[in-house]
Amino acid sequence: MSDFVEKLRAIVGDKGLITDEQGKHPYVTDWRESFVGNALAVVRPANTREVADVVRLCAAEKVSVVPQGGNTGLVGGGIPQEKGREIVLSLNRMTRITDIDPIGYTMTVEAGVILKTIQETAAAHDRLFPLSLAAEGSCSIGGNLSTNAGGVQVLHYGNARQLVLGLEVVTPQGEIWNGLRALKKDNTGYDLRDLYLGAEGTLGIITRAVLKLWPKPKDVATAWVAVPSPEAAVALLSGAHAASEDNVTSCELMGRQGIDLVLQHIPGATDPLSGRHDWYVLFEWSSTRARREGANAGGLREKMEAYLGEAMEQGLVLDATIAQNETQARALWALRENHTEASKKEGPSVKHDISVAVSKIPAFVTEGLAAMRKALPECRPVTFGHVGDGNLHFNCQAPAGWDKARFLPHAHAVNAAVYDLVVSYGGSISAEHGIGLLKVDELAHYRSKVEIDTMRTIKRALDPQNLMNPGKIVRV
Amino acid sequence: MKVLVAVKRVIDYNVKIRVKADNTGVETANVKMSMNPFDEIAVEEAIRMKEKGAATEVIAFSAGPAQCQETIRTALAMGADRGVLVQTDAELQPLAVAKLLKAVVDKEQPGLVIVGKQAIDDDSNQTGQMLAALLGWSVGTFANKLNVADGSVEVKREVDGGLENIKIKMPAVITTDLRLNEPRYASLPNIMKAKKKPIETLAPDALGVDVAPRLKTLKVEEPPKRKAGIKVKTVAELVEKLRNEAGVI
Ligand SMILES: Cc1cc2nc3c(=O)[nH]c(=O)nc-3n(C[C@H](O)[C@H](O)[C@H](O)COP(=O)(O)OP(=O)(O)OC[C@H]3O[C@@H](n4cnc5c(N)ncnc54)[C@H](O)[C@@H]3O)c2cc1C
Ligand SMILES: Cc1cc2nc3c(=O)[nH]c(=O)nc-3n(C[C@H](O)[C@H](O)[C@H](O)COP(=O)(O)OP(=O)(O)OC[C@H]3O[C@@H](n4cnc5c(N)ncnc54)[C@H](O)[C@@H]3O)c2cc1C
Repeated sequence: MSDFVEKLRAIVGDKGLITDEQGKHPYVTDWRESFVGNALAVVRPANTREVADVVRLCAAEKVSVVPQGGNTGLVGGGIPQEKGREIVLSLNRMTRITDIDPIGYTMTVEAGVILKTIQETAAAHDRLFPLSLAAEGSCSIGGNLSTNAGGVQVLHYGNARQLVLGLEVVTPQGEIWNGLRALKKDNTGYDLRDLYLGAEGTLGIITRAVLKLWPKPKDVATAWVAVPSPEAAVALLSGAHAASEDNVTSCELMGRQGIDLVLQHIPGATDPLSGRHDWYVLFEWSSTRARREGANAGGLREKMEAYLGEAMEQGLVLDATIAQNETQARALWALRENHTEASKKEGPSVKHDISVAVSKIPAFVTEGLAAMRKALPECRPVTFGHVGDGNLHFNCQAPAGWDKARFLPHAHAVNAAVYDLVVSYGGSISAEHGIGLLKVDELAHYRSKVEIDTMRTIKRALDPQNLMNPGKIVRV
Repeated sequence: MKVLVAVKRVIDYNVKIRVKADNTGVETANVKMSMNPFDEIAVEEAIRMKEKGAATEVIAFSAGPAQCQETIRTALAMGADRGVLVQTDAELQPLAVAKLLKAVVDKEQPGLVIVGKQAIDDDSNQTGQMLAALLGWSVGTFANKLNVADGSVEVKREVDGGLENIKIKMPAVITTDLRLNEPRYASLPNIMKAKKKPIETLAPDALGVDVAPRLKTLKVEEPPKRKAGIKVKTVAELVEKLRNEAGVI
């Protein structure tokens, strides 16, 4: 064993190797502290060459490799299993931005670059990289691509998959595939890029990527809207596409329970509206056209005021505020983005990252809340999420005062109630967080045999030794 | 009692400021503009006075280009009753703004004028004090808490090393500090109502004020960039560097 560690050291040096328990701890524990695994070592290569050398060594020694980026994943995908000979291969030293091309609207980055750094670099060149999610200060682009992350602007720009042109990948055999092609059109056989995107590190390690950029919005309007029901929220969104001239970039739904948790647990959070309401929408409209100045001054904010004003007369809106400055806009966003953090501070919960067709959201919420309460009458539903994408975090907070030990035995019944309903709606049991370790059984249960068999066939073909992040997504 | 509040249109607090290439000022083209945060606090305080019955009318004043209408609209959406815009494209320095404010005070006869302790663009911290001097009124600067009672105002002031309580006679000028209150969000119904509230537009000439700048800006530069730090290996090395290189111990 120490022989193996010395061989790793020969590749990545002291700087790239962590073998003490304390040092390994943050790499083998997930963000929610639901998974704690074991690793022979944490290996942090400095470049693609070193990644390939480490993977080749592991293939020869039959040691499994668990790729990891910012370790913000919510399904245990980046955490090694408890049993087995595994290393964590962290990309967190590969943080170079190797090219930015504002004319061609592309940026080439290493897999370990933090999402926020990419956003800021794009902004400094008057461009936008639209992937945006609450973990953006910690998650890495490699993790985003490997989970096909979603976030708060999918509605307008698409998932991570739609934001990337080319990849460089180290295969389970330790070979380097250079697919760093900055091409919009490239119909040359099977799309390997699309295969690795969303594969959660089970087919290879993404080491670099060519990302797509967009023009930076010049006019942004942000509103916090109280609505009577999810039905009203969906109707409001549906009309907003035309009213905003197709400039709706975010539409997030939140139930009151989640807002209460944020107000309770996040210092400085305040309720922007005076009354209490059951449902809220956070709306953002963005345009690349700057506001008009002078006599005919105006822009998106005026359009939004007019639209929401009308909706209020029709009863679709109960009350609302439109951010008057950037500080207010950020505070409104913080109320939404702190939901996950506040729920963690409140105590245990089970999370359902589900999607159904946008138009089916209202009926699903009604039936889903009833199903959850039937499975566990004391449960506290916390519903929020990217309603514009038909994606809700349809979560269940443990009853007040219950600890993990008391709550977890009920988790299965709650999960089954929600997932059975999702499937009957033609929806997905994992809209954006992936499968990881958390949902392997559920995936096998809810998807057809032919679908699971096809996935297994792909996995076996590309990774015959089953050494690349084994046990995640499907068991082979 | 009428309360007059000053609201200045400034570059939004969250915008990263860039100096113009020719060093004559900062970049404002395509940059988000908002109400000076200290003025938001002034508006909030005035509205609370009205809600408590201590004020009868809140008038929002702004001086500058036509776009300042938007800043006044924000104040109206928060709850101010009407606006006064002194419209000019000239560069306005604190003395000129104080004189314009004085002219409007003479016309409107408010019992209190509330302004921000400073604007976050020029950071002058002068307008309130100059206005009080021009009017010969009492002034309570850096207000952390206000209490209006029987023709006077109790002001808790933020001063170096703590808080100071003073009581001043009205009419008076107040300048706001950060912790005076937390400004409210403008609600949609109030945003819609604000569109119908009156804004009177005046010209500096009509008020008999010469706004010509008294100070000349020679050059605007970025602050010097911080140099990258270094890592030291031992405490001894740190002490050695603090003593011999930095000369601070
Ligand atoms: C005048 C002209 C202009 C063209 N312009 C363009 C253009 O602008 N852009 C462009 O992309 N292409 C263009 N093409 C190429 C071609 O038309 C397109 O690729 C078109 O999409 C092929 O459709 P098809 O039904 O004719 O397919 P076919 O020619 O019948 O088949 C194409 C391929 O798809 C397979 N295939 C067909 N149907 C299925 C199926 N149901 N399931 C699985 N495999 C299937 C076939 O085996 C074959 O490999 C052009 C062709 C012509 C003649
Ligand atoms: C507060 C919070 C909010 C979140 N909000 C959202 C959201 O709105 N939308 C959303 O989609 N997700 C969200 N997430 C989940 C998570 O942040 C994202 O999935 C993120 O993209 C993961 O990136 P990471 O670098 O942390 O990946 P990790 O957690 O390190 O890894 C995630 C998976 O990708 C694999 N992986 C990582 N790097 C590589 C690589 N270079 N090559 C191959 N495989 C790799 C890992 O093995 C693992 O399976 C949220 C998480 C938190 C904590």
